[in-house]
Amino acid sequence: MLTIDSLRAWGADIETGLNRCINNEAFYLRLVDKCIRDEAFVQLKASVEAGDLARGFELAHALKGSTSNLALDPVSRPVTEITELLRSRTDTDYSVLLNQIMSERDALINLL
Amino acid sequence: MNEFTPGIDLTGTDLELRSAGMKRHVLIVEDEFVNREILTAYLESDYDVLTADTGAKALEAVNAHADTLSLVLLDLILPDMHGLDILRKMKEDTKSARIPVIVMTSDTESEVESLNIGASDFISKPYPMPKVIQARVRRTIELSENRDLIRWTERDHLTGLFNRDYFYRYAGQYDTFHPHESADAVVVDISHFHMVNERYGKVYGDEMLKRVGRELRALMDASGGIACRREADTFLVYGPHRADYADFLDRLSAAAGGESRSRIRLRMGVYADVDKSIDMERRFDHAKMAADSIRNDFNTAIACYDISLHEKEMYAERLLDDFQEAIDQKQFLVYFQPKYDIRPDSPVLYGAEALVRWKHPELGMISPGVFVPLFESNGLVRDLDHYVWREAAAQLRDWKQRLGFCVPVSVNVSRVDMMDPELTDTLRGLIADSGLSFTDLHLEITESAYTQDAKQIIATVSRLRDMGFVIEMDDFGSGYSSLNMISTLPIDALKLDMQFIRTAFSEKGNTRMLEITVDIARALGVPMIAEGVETEEQMLKLKEFGCDVVQGYYFARPMPAADFEPFLLKQKATDY
Repeated sequence: MLTIDSLRAWGADIETGLNRCINNEAFYLRLVDKCIRDEAFVQLKASVEAGDLARGFELAHALKGSTSNLALDPVSRPVTEITELLRSRTDTDYSVLLNQIMSERDALINLL
Repeated sequence: MNEFTPGIDLTGTDLELRSAGMKRHVLIVEDEFVNREILTAYLESDYDVLTADTGAKALEAVNAHADTLSLVLLDLILPDMHGLDILRKMKEDTKSARIPVIVMTSDTESEVESLNIGASDFISKPYPMPKVIQARVRRTIELSENRDLIRWTERDHLTGLFNRDYFYRYAGQYDTFHPHESADAVVVDISHFHMVNERYGKVYGDEMLKRVGRELRALMDASGGIACRREADTFLVYGPHRADYADFLDRLSAAAGGESRSRIRLRMGVYADVDKSIDMERRFDHAKMAADSIRNDFNTAIACYDISLHEKEMYAERLLDDFQEAIDQKQFLVYFQPKYDIRPDSPVLYGAEALVRWKHPELGMISPGVFVPLFESNGLVRDLDHYVWREAAAQLRDWKQRLGFCVPVSVNVSRVDMMDPELTDTLRGLIADSGLSFTDLHLEITESAYTQDAKQIIATVSRLRDMGFVIEMDDFGSGYSSLNMISTLPIDALKLDMQFIRTAFSEKGNTRMLEITVDIARALGVPMIAEGVETEEQMLKLKEFGCDVVQGYYFARPMPAADFEPFLLKQKATDY
């Protein structure tokens, strides 16, 4: 079960995240739960691997907003990084960042 | 000073709603569920929160709640369109332009662009702490409502231009910011606007005013300056001096016509390069005076104020102010100018015309050429005519009683009198009270009166004629009557326009028209009276052409009653 402690152990900035959710733990956890289950993670990986950087940017940008608002730092850091690369459609090897994002997200899913 | 959003329509309902203590409505446009939830959580205790997760839904919500939305929180990256496009659409639409928008973005470049397009503020991502967002939302709504209130009070609600009071204040400020530049005060009127309203309805009229307002704003944006709608169809403009207002007027006129492309006639009074030492309202009085000077001149659309116009206007005002006292104190004098029948070998006194003079206690003798047109323009001439008729009738009666002799006296009946439903009763009463007979008083009715509202005039004239009055058509040849019409008119004499005599006997002397005119009188079987005859040569020529009666300096100037008496006595002696 997703808890404040398990999220903190995983690396979330709990104080910031909670504060942003008006210090309502249940509300925070509900949003994190929703965020973790977001299809956008899988779609982001698929789009970028298929070379659709424009769609990749939209998805990354959306994930950046929600993960950083919830202070899910271990995942929001690589998401922010990939968002900026995708914004400028940088031609680079995205696999490292994508793998990092997916593994952090898998770690989160394991907390559920 | 011209940042005002075009065509804003402050209906007042929104302001009233909000000041009545109701929860304000806030729209959150955000496609990300998490973000939407967080913002909603921040705001829902203080506001009624609406949400939209796509651009299309956002625009739909804005349209549906344009009157009541207090704020839009707008995410820039949306699945179907860019947030900046939504912002642009909102600011272009008059209905939603007033709604403040806070843009939510993590990208600095978009922040600047969104502020340029009209966003009130921005909130960065990740979000700052809840209290920060709540405070910014509250502050943005507050500022916008204060601005709405200020607009509500300082603007004309139809056109969005300043209203009169604030206009004068901002015009003063304009001077403060442009102390060394010359400025113009301009008044623009739509000619016969009440007719536009009457013919096409108020909605059409209002649309026309809005179009003119929009064009004025565009002109002000381009050149600097400010504009207001003073009232109804009168607009005021204060701005940098222009050498020429023709283009300015053309643009406004085209705007007034709108898609119909019909030419709407505007009238413009310009007080150019204003004297900044006189107060602002007076400057616009000057411009208005210039505009009024071409009220009835359809060939001129722009008039400029100058000092002579001012003096003329002041003089006219003075005469209008003094009119009633002049009537009460009998400052108006009735003069008599003899008319002679020139058909016999030696001319015979045929009658006289009663003419009015004004002996003003301070301004001296004033020519009727100055005050009659003035009183004609505002209807006072009716009172003046009645006064002259009474005075002339009393004088006639006096002569009849004392001298036992008189000749008919003609009096002028103005156009205004002809429209007076009580005219026949007034004249009948006059004759009865003075103990005269109808034939003693000839009525001079100007030709142009016949052409103006022919049917009614002809009916009135016929009634007067049936009563026994002798009708002389005055200023004949100046009113463009058709020959066909003249033949059917109820008249007893044609009185030739003085200008005919002047032209006929001018240096290039063309008497052809004069001859034709005399022939017309001949054909109608009525006597022809020529006025303004000054020389023996003129008199003899007229006699040769067949003119019957002559009036003018050649015989005598208009004179007081006492001076006219010897003319009567001489004629009386000849008759017996």
